[in-house]
Amino acid sequence: MTADLIRVLGLWRSRAGWLVAGLTVAALAALVGVALLAVAGRGIAHAVTGAAIFAGAAAALAWIWPIALMRPVLRYLDRLVSHAAAFRALADTRVWFFRRLAERLPAGLGFRRAGDLLGRLVSDIDALDRLYLGAIVPAVAAAVVVLAIFLLLGVVAPDLAVLVAAPLALALLLPPLLAPGAAEAGQRVAAAQGSLRAAVVDPLTGIEDTLAAGAEPVAAARVAEEGARLSAAQRLLARRGAWGGAAGTVLTQAAMLGALGYGLATGHEGVAGAVLGLFLAIAAAETLGLMPRAGAALAAAAASGRRLFEAADAAPPVADPQKPAPLPAGHAIRIEDVHFTWSTDRPPVFDGLELDVPEGARLALLGPSGAGKSTLASLLLKFAAPRTGRILLGGVDITTLSGEQLRSRIVCLTQDARLFDDSIAANLRLARPEATPAEMWRALDAAGIGEVVRSLPEGLETRCGEAGARFSGGQARRLALARALLSDAPVLILDEPAAGLDPDTERAFLETLDEATAGRTVILIVHRLIGVEHPTKILRLAGGRALTAMG
Amino acid sequence: MVGRAMSRAVNEADRAAEDLLRREAREARARLALPVALGVAQVAAGIAQALLFAMLVGALLGFGNAGWAELGLAAALAALSAGLGMAQERTLVAAGEAAKARLRRTAFARLLEEGPADPRPVGERAALVVDRIEALEGYLTRWLPSAVLAMAGPALVIGAALLADAPSGLILLVAGLLVPVIMAVTGIGAAQASRRQFEALGRLSGRFLDRMRGLPTLVLFRRQEAEAEALGQAAAELRARTMKVLRVAFLSSGAMELLAAGAIAMLAIRHAAQLGAGHPDPVAGIFCLLLVPAFFAPLRNFSMAYHEKLAARGAASELAPLLAPPAGPPGLILEEMPRKLVVTFQDVRLTYDPARPPALDGLSFRVMPGETLVLSGASGAGKSSVLRLLMGFRRPDSGRIALNGQDATALRPPELRRLSAYVGQRAHLFRGTLRENIRLARPEATDAEVEEAAEAAKVMAFARGLSQGLDTLVGEGGFGLSGGQAQRVAVARAFLRDAPLVLLDEPTAHLDPGTEGEVLESLRRLCSGRTAIVATHSRAAQRMLGRVLEIEQGRAAGARMAGE
Repeated sequence: MTADLIRVLGLWRSRAGWLVAGLTVAALAALVGVALLAVAGRGIAHAVTGAAIFAGAAAALAWIWPIALMRPVLRYLDRLVSHAAAFRALADTRVWFFRRLAERLPAGLGFRRAGDLLGRLVSDIDALDRLYLGAIVPAVAAAVVVLAIFLLLGVVAPDLAVLVAAPLALALLLPPLLAPGAAEAGQRVAAAQGSLRAAVVDPLTGIEDTLAAGAEPVAAARVAEEGARLSAAQRLLARRGAWGGAAGTVLTQAAMLGALGYGLATGHEGVAGAVLGLFLAIAAAETLGLMPRAGAALAAAAASGRRLFEAADAAPPVADPQKPAPLPAGHAIRIEDVHFTWSTDRPPVFDGLELDVPEGARLALLGPSGAGKSTLASLLLKFAAPRTGRILLGGVDITTLSGEQLRSRIVCLTQDARLFDDSIAANLRLARPEATPAEMWRALDAAGIGEVVRSLPEGLETRCGEAGARFSGGQARRLALARALLSDAPVLILDEPAAGLDPDTERAFLETLDEATAGRTVILIVHRLIGVEHPTKILRLAGGRALTAMG
Repeated sequence: MVGRAMSRAVNEADRAAEDLLRREAREARARLALPVALGVAQVAAGIAQALLFAMLVGALLGFGNAGWAELGLAAALAALSAGLGMAQERTLVAAGEAAKARLRRTAFARLLEEGPADPRPVGERAALVVDRIEALEGYLTRWLPSAVLAMAGPALVIGAALLADAPSGLILLVAGLLVPVIMAVTGIGAAQASRRQFEALGRLSGRFLDRMRGLPTLVLFRRQEAEAEALGQAAAELRARTMKVLRVAFLSSGAMELLAAGAIAMLAIRHAAQLGAGHPDPVAGIFCLLLVPAFFAPLRNFSMAYHEKLAARGAASELAPLLAPPAGPPGLILEEMPRKLVVTFQDVRLTYDPARPPALDGLSFRVMPGETLVLSGASGAGKSSVLRLLMGFRRPDSGRIALNGQDATALRPPELRRLSAYVGQRAHLFRGTLRENIRLARPEATDAEVEEAAEAAKVMAFARGLSQGLDTLVGEGGFGLSGGQAQRVAVARAFLRDAPLVLLDEPTAHLDPGTEGEVLESLRRLCSGRTAIVATHSRAAQRMLGRVLEIEQGRAAGARMAGE
């Protein structure tokens, strides 16, 4: 738990200035609160007994108004600055997490539930703000207060100082003492929230299939069940919090009772000190009142941190080399005796694959579905690594190149190529950020979708919707194709580029492909050829090897 | 004009949000009585304790003769107060649970009902069911009880103070009366800001999910870094909006601190001056001073809960349309499952987006029982729209869709769907095993029936190669299966479904010719004896399955017979 928390703090290092500023203001605000009651208590003791506890005590009440005015201002600033600091730190964490995921999970979300991941990113990171706002800030403020009380009373009577400050210090220690117990409860809450979100996201993502199967009651029952599990976890966490709250109340009350007891025991000479002690303990109670919640906050933050790091620390599918070799000049591809399987309990996809794709070649790759056509693309892009064998780009083993370098040379239209909920232009610019409208139109025309886009009132600025939901399946596919064509990488892998196209459009597209990809290497992954592709080589994948199909 | 229309829309949203919150507050009232009573008891214990403390301080200063007995009593009260606090916490949590479960059920059911017609990204809709409902809980279990206690608690304290020392009581009374004034002044504009903040949060959720799903695409184009920057910017925007809300919310709690500090200062000055001048009843003076924390504690809780209210208000305005009672009549229920279906489209029109040409522009056709109609035509011609209408995902703008001569749109959409087995264009595999995914179509099906369906749809052809066969886990989006394999799982669902109407949207896309032939063969068996409509580009499917209807820009272009 501690390690996770320290790592979270490490992520926030660049915001140290803001974070420390928040702590400073919080401590000042707490001290002013103590000063207010100290002045009031001292004024009363002085008025009654005439005994000056400190030099200059007679002037005490003169200070009460400035202090009374400073307190709300400082409290306001305290909350404002500490929140501003926490949000800055959280924004950094979000971006950090996204970057990590881009490194670790590039080949897709797979078994990790997309909805669950979203929950991790948004609500777990938000829960981290409780580490700073709910635990660190109140702890620092309370520690400063307890120390101040100990020093103030220590000047008057050391034994009184111990009597008042000891239970307060114990209340200060409550959070770390309670945290491990609450941590488990916090983990359950965070996990339950993730599962609930996934239970909502999954049936909504496949909404057509959910409705078609009449699975609404099943989906609703799952959501209700996950909701009940979340409630149970929250109940447990609240119960832990309530215990902490009760313990905190008892301890701060003990400090007040201690001061009074000291007064009763010592008689007249201890009176002034006892009254001051009582008022200080009352002032401290307010600051320390937040501490038991801090235990729960600490636990929740640790649980969220744990889950974030778990996702962020997944091993990357293929590690990049420490020092990548320089990119080769050429881009001919050679695959030598590659063996590959996705997991040991599945049959091997490739079993001694050999393949040669010279520069500018047009290779058509055929084979039944599941024969490994798409897997080949994953291997070429380093989303997966062969068990044995080598893959060479321009004569250089791709294990010595970084994935980033490789992907600057090879662009792939995957089967699950995705359009983002953004404009058509923004989606196209993913492939070439500096693309001009003229270039975009050329790519759209080559993909056979130019006419459709031209007919839209907003043209290139039309939004695509999530996963291109605002277009038909075939149209979205062609937009993704246009994006792939727009990139200037010399090697183009097109995985089923014509899927979802009607035969006429398919034919027209494949006929213009020559022109659109002039001079580039094209690997065309298809189920069948319709006779207009003009490949320089046709291979059929079967039994984990590539066989020459025809001339 | 536009501005006025927008402000009217905002006002309506506000009213709907207020209605929702009021409705929920009424529902929660009975459950909140106990925690509120416990809170009042805690305030009373605090007053009694202040009195004991005052007597003890008085005794120390030489007035009265309180001693160890009073100290023991005060200790007992401290323990009681701690116990009351715990009990209150428990009862509050319990009060929120029932409300949350009910609201979540309603909201989620409505989202399913809206179905594919809801244009919002999935992440945004999920946030409604998860985060917004949680925000409402804060309103019910924090804000509402603290609002009652903020009235009852200080009133109790003022009463005690008035009894002890009237001027002190008056000071507290004035401070108490100023609280709602401050709340009103600082609360203006906060609700607006709160709604904006929630919109930003929703957008961020939607955007994260969208980008996360497409992470492989971003990595392929080496744009992950640029996107990370953009996400950072979105987060910064969220921060700016949140801070705007908090600046106002904190203002009210700052003002409360000002009142508390002012009251302490005035009471201290009054009693210190009086005590020195031979106060008639010093214990009462000290008592009043010690009452200040007890007076402001409920008010402080109240102001801390204020942002819960703001958050709930924002959440409520988003949830209100979802939780409002449905507008129209619910539609008819299927009396009995017909064995045979005649499907008739008569001059059907459908437009998704008024700025774009209509998807269906006066389409008419009829399919008889036992017949299979193949819809062909360019992508975007309207093939899928026909199937969506028959599935009740959309309602036609005009024209008539009839099943056995009865208006199909009069049926409740879930009832309409009971008639059909449907395979959409992008088959979704839910997280679970292959077997669970197929069984979804008919939960009561036996294992043998599931396997039969899997066999017919050629799922077994690849499932046999998996070490766990049909019990292999597939992820959201169908991890580990190729597009063609996922498609076959969806076809297996249709086999298992056993419905009189079969609707297939590109059932053989992503299949190689060999597998396509096999699946088509089994689809022909599936369609035989039923009414079937198949949208497909595949020439092979058009040849094999039946009569072809060519659709061009939302109209029938002309019918051909199979094999022509």
